[in-house]
Amino acid sequence: MTVSTLMERTTVTSRGVDGLQLPVMTTDTTDMRDLFEAQAMPFIDQLYAAAMRMTRNPSDAQDLVQETFVKAFASFTQFEQGTNLKAWLYRILTNTFINTYRKKQREPYQGTIDDLEDWQLGGAESTTATSSRSAEAEAIDHLPDSAVKDALQSIPEDFRLAVYFADVEGFSYQEIAEIMKTPIGTVMSRLHRGRRLLRELLAGYALERGLGTGQGAPIKKTSGSTGK
Amino acid sequence: MTDCGCEKAKAELEEYLHNELRKEDAIDIREHLEHCPDCRNEHHVGRTLTEVMQRACKETAPEVLRDQVLLRLRAIQSAH
Repeated sequence: MTVSTLMERTTVTSRGVDGLQLPVMTTDTTDMRDLFEAQAMPFIDQLYAAAMRMTRNPSDAQDLVQETFVKAFASFTQFEQGTNLKAWLYRILTNTFINTYRKKQREPYQGTIDDLEDWQLGGAESTTATSSRSAEAEAIDHLPDSAVKDALQSIPEDFRLAVYFADVEGFSYQEIAEIMKTPIGTVMSRLHRGRRLLRELLAGYALERGLGTGQGAPIKKTSGSTGK
Repeated sequence: MTDCGCEKAKAELEEYLHNELRKEDAIDIREHLEHCPDCRNEHHVGRTLTEVMQRACKETAPEVLRDQVLLRLRAIQSAH
């Protein structure tokens, strides 16, 4: 990193950090690193959690997070202070995952998942009656975390990421579109289908565990594929 | 005040849940939910889905990862 790029950066940062109480008038690389650490390190738990859902194992998740921080630091001069750092970090995380880790995994790239018809994904629109639906919420609410993670893990990756970004991270549809580099319409479709698959899987788990849906004895679900 | 109806509510429930609706549309949905137990239940399932995911996906980065990241940043810095 050269002093001149840092000088440029200083000009940019001093313009866009209203409210931020961080040292911005610096041209020293140590302060640059301090700034990066102060701003980016607080996201490490969240990035690790996302990496766990992406890679499905702690060792790959740690590598992915490490790569993400290294890349983010290397291009930190391009980050515009005052804009959304969290979304910027997730973009790097997602890119790194897609370019590096997805290739290594056994699961083939599901590039055409958006084109599949709903019936090919299994399940159907919910036709559950009102009375059993309030019981459905309660049954889902009582499932152990492991069941929820299993269900997330078993839905197609693009759906999983969209759902994760929206529901767990609270990103807006626009932010997700930028992170996943897809149109907003695709984000909405992935979210809708991902959430529906999850709901069916979780309702199925609840039935298996006898967390009834208010319909008396648990009856084995016969709706065929649950996305496995 | 006219109710937006179940059809509109069901179609927009997910965007409502994710705070993606314009203010006026969100108000329509909120009012409909107050009067329609069916859609209210549907919304409750949707919200529960979000909540259980948030709960299940919490992780804390291992201490060793934190240390490794800081070490790498320092190494990059001293190489420049």
